[in-house]
Amino acid sequence: MPLDRRIHDEFVALLGDADVLSDPVRTRTYECDGLTGNRVVPELVLLPRTASDVAGCVRICARHRIPFVARGAGTGLSGGALPVADGVVIGVNRLNRVLEVDAENRRAVLEPGVTNLEITAAASPHGLYYAPDPSSQQVCTIGGNVAENSGGAHCLKYGFTTNHVLSMEVVLPDGSVVTLGSDSMEQSGPDLRGVFLGSEGTLGIVTKVTVRLLRTPEVMRTLLADFPSVAAGGQVVSDIVAAGIVPAAVEMMDALAIEAAEGATGAGYSLDTPAALVVELDGTVEECDEQFALVKEICDRHGCTRLHVAGSPEERANIWRGRKAAFAAVGRISPDYIVQDGVVPRTRLAEILGRIDEMGAEAGLRVANVFHAGDGNLHPLVLFSAAEGQTERAEHLSSQIAELCVEMGGSLSGEHGIGTDKACSMPTMFGEDDLAVMDRIRAGFDPDHVCNPGKLLPTPRLCGEKPGRYRPHPLEEAGLIERL
Amino acid sequence: MTRAAPTTLRPTSAKEVRDAVLDTPGRLAIAGAGTARHWAGRPGDADATLDLSGLSGVIHHNPGDMTVSVHAGTPVRELQQILAEHGQRLAFDAARVARGATVGGLVATADAGPSALVWGGLRDLVIGTTAVLADGTMVRSGGHVIKNVAGYDMAKLMHGSYGLFGPLVEVVLRLHPVPKAVACVAVDGPVGEAADHVLALMASPLEPIAVEWVSGDPGRLLVRLEGGTETLPARVGRLCELLGSGAHEAGEDAWETHAALTAGLPGGGGDAAAGDQPAAEGAPDGAVVRIGCAPTRLAPLLAQLPTTAVTAGLATGVATVTVPGAAVAEVHDAVAAVGGTSVLRDRPEALDAPAWGPAPSALTLLKAVRARLDPEARFAAGRFDPWM
Repeated sequence: MPLDRRIHDEFVALLGDADVLSDPVRTRTYECDGLTGNRVVPELVLLPRTASDVAGCVRICARHRIPFVARGAGTGLSGGALPVADGVVIGVNRLNRVLEVDAENRRAVLEPGVTNLEITAAASPHGLYYAPDPSSQQVCTIGGNVAENSGGAHCLKYGFTTNHVLSMEVVLPDGSVVTLGSDSMEQSGPDLRGVFLGSEGTLGIVTKVTVRLLRTPEVMRTLLADFPSVAAGGQVVSDIVAAGIVPAAVEMMDALAIEAAEGATGAGYSLDTPAALVVELDGTVEECDEQFALVKEICDRHGCTRLHVAGSPEERANIWRGRKAAFAAVGRISPDYIVQDGVVPRTRLAEILGRIDEMGAEAGLRVANVFHAGDGNLHPLVLFSAAEGQTERAEHLSSQIAELCVEMGGSLSGEHGIGTDKACSMPTMFGEDDLAVMDRIRAGFDPDHVCNPGKLLPTPRLCGEKPGRYRPHPLEEAGLIERL
Repeated sequence: MTRAAPTTLRPTSAKEVRDAVLDTPGRLAIAGAGTARHWAGRPGDADATLDLSGLSGVIHHNPGDMTVSVHAGTPVRELQQILAEHGQRLAFDAARVARGATVGGLVATADAGPSALVWGGLRDLVIGTTAVLADGTMVRSGGHVIKNVAGYDMAKLMHGSYGLFGPLVEVVLRLHPVPKAVACVAVDGPVGEAADHVLALMASPLEPIAVEWVSGDPGRLLVRLEGGTETLPARVGRLCELLGSGAHEAGEDAWETHAALTAGLPGGGGDAAAGDQPAAEGAPDGAVVRIGCAPTRLAPLLAQLPTTAVTAGLATGVATVTVPGAAVAEVHDAVAAVGGTSVLRDRPEALDAPAWGPAPSALTLLKAVRARLDPEARFAAGRFDPWM
């Protein structure tokens, strides 16, 4: 049902004709995010240029109970920015200024449309950088990072977006503007900043973000090591952790992922190895050198077949280019693929990889594995051919893998979010009461359900009349938790 | 009408906490070890007290995954002893840990110590929580893995809540390795001089774990480094060089003085700071106020305040000051004027002073969330006075 013309005119009166898109040819650009299988063409796309215009747009939506969906670069992989039928999309990518880099206080103030990599670009002349580094960092925005609580390869040591955001200016679903967080870690009362972070656009729209910057480490040491099996690589990670070393990053790729990444980037990965580990240490020269020697020794101990140490910043960049291109590169070895994102306790990595292997074989589909081995965050890539009618089977396998992560005491998502993609799987990880309380919190922020409805929490409309199957949580079965 | 003496309930399991909340009508106070019972707004009348000190102990420690789940009433001090056997620790060093503070209490009060510079506070270290709401709902969020973005993060809502949404019953924490070696370098001087040192230090690659100035005559800057046994001495050397003449290695007991001053207890300073004055139990000399602001604003702010004792994280912007009771309102105003936040901690029994600075812009939102979770306002009566 098209929006009332008078409402359309209200948006035009606020933003001007050029910044209100209603032509389906143009609004179609916004029909999906990185989860391209789900598409909804929005009624209108609003492209405000200032924070006060964002608030103005939200106030109009609130007044008329029009659902709205905030959007940054649209790189999200869980359908969090999927438009809502009969609703509007509020794109914030025109709010893209770095407002301040305060080197002495090691922080930057940003508009939400600033890209992740632009933050570090603005900070680096001061010897500072912004730590969270999702693979999409060249294009993804800090606003989207706030919504998804984005991580990245280096979050094992440095944490996620939530650990690096000091404060935010937020437009709440009623159009009011508040500041969450403060200039230090001290806050007045509960950490609403932290509740908002990772809320996937369901609690409001961020219009200004103050992030912490870290000093660029004195040195970085990066190695690429091949192993005869994924299990051997996993054992190396365990031993590194047991030695009391917290690496800046530990990434693992299996043979299929390596084949794809190497084919796309020629970054120097071995094509004949079952598993490769990227280990990066950073810090002071003294600490780094001591720990790096130990890491090399641990690699050798577990049958490392080739160990390549990046000898220059270019070589390091090359190794990372191969790793970060892995998702997209899989397109070279398969006509279609699904990127999954799940987490298991790190000590169960080898076990789940074995299970994924079996499940793939059973489904007759190949699964490539790229993962943040240090924190147990898996990114299995399910390869399939839509043309050969494998879509449904692939989607089923992918969901099964995510739910297996939960069964193993992990999480449905480590960094891509729940969005529309996994909302119906939430009851496998949380009980009815847990989800009902999350819904109450949401209602505290958004009593009229206009802010990114249908995302994050299961709804009868999305998941069928029953809000989800209740199964005892695996941790409950194991006696680790109880639900009373 | 005079109220009957409030009942004290001592649940020892999550289920008993839930039953206590369901079976006890009216307003409930939550108590842990009692190390922060006088912080923030003065508690209003309660019909019963939930004493959670019996809800204690490790539920599950996964050394390989570096996570641990604990009952919320577990003293962090005891937890650290258990973890240390595995070469692990909760990277958290709030002053009152030494006095028996519990995990739940430390989360509820958003307390943190000097090493928050690197590890953050408990808001950064808690990866899962189970809480009991006013209607007896037991709600779980997060999980047992470090990386997890599924659902809203209830742990954040509980952090700094002073029990507003009900008691935590279980907490899952991420752990860090115990460092092989630790060193403390001290240099004496007033806060302004220390602030200059800190600017240079934070621009250097030395990666300090904690950077705190403690008041005294003339005051002293303490810098903690952690690292390998072989490598730390070289970094200590580099640090001493950076801080200039007068910088010297100090014993770890310097941090005990720091903790005592943070609690508002006499701790000395300057040369005395290295002395062995244990943190004594007792009422503070004046009112203790916790303040936070942008780091470079802290030293000039402190210079304006009528402090009798200060510990100041010059790289975090977080400080704890002791001031005469009559000056509390003035402290709130001065902190707010530089865009900071402040809360009253311990204070003389009779003192009637505002507990909080100006209300945050999100107060209406906070009230709306509370109305959804605790519509009858059963918990935390008085704690956020005068805001709510």
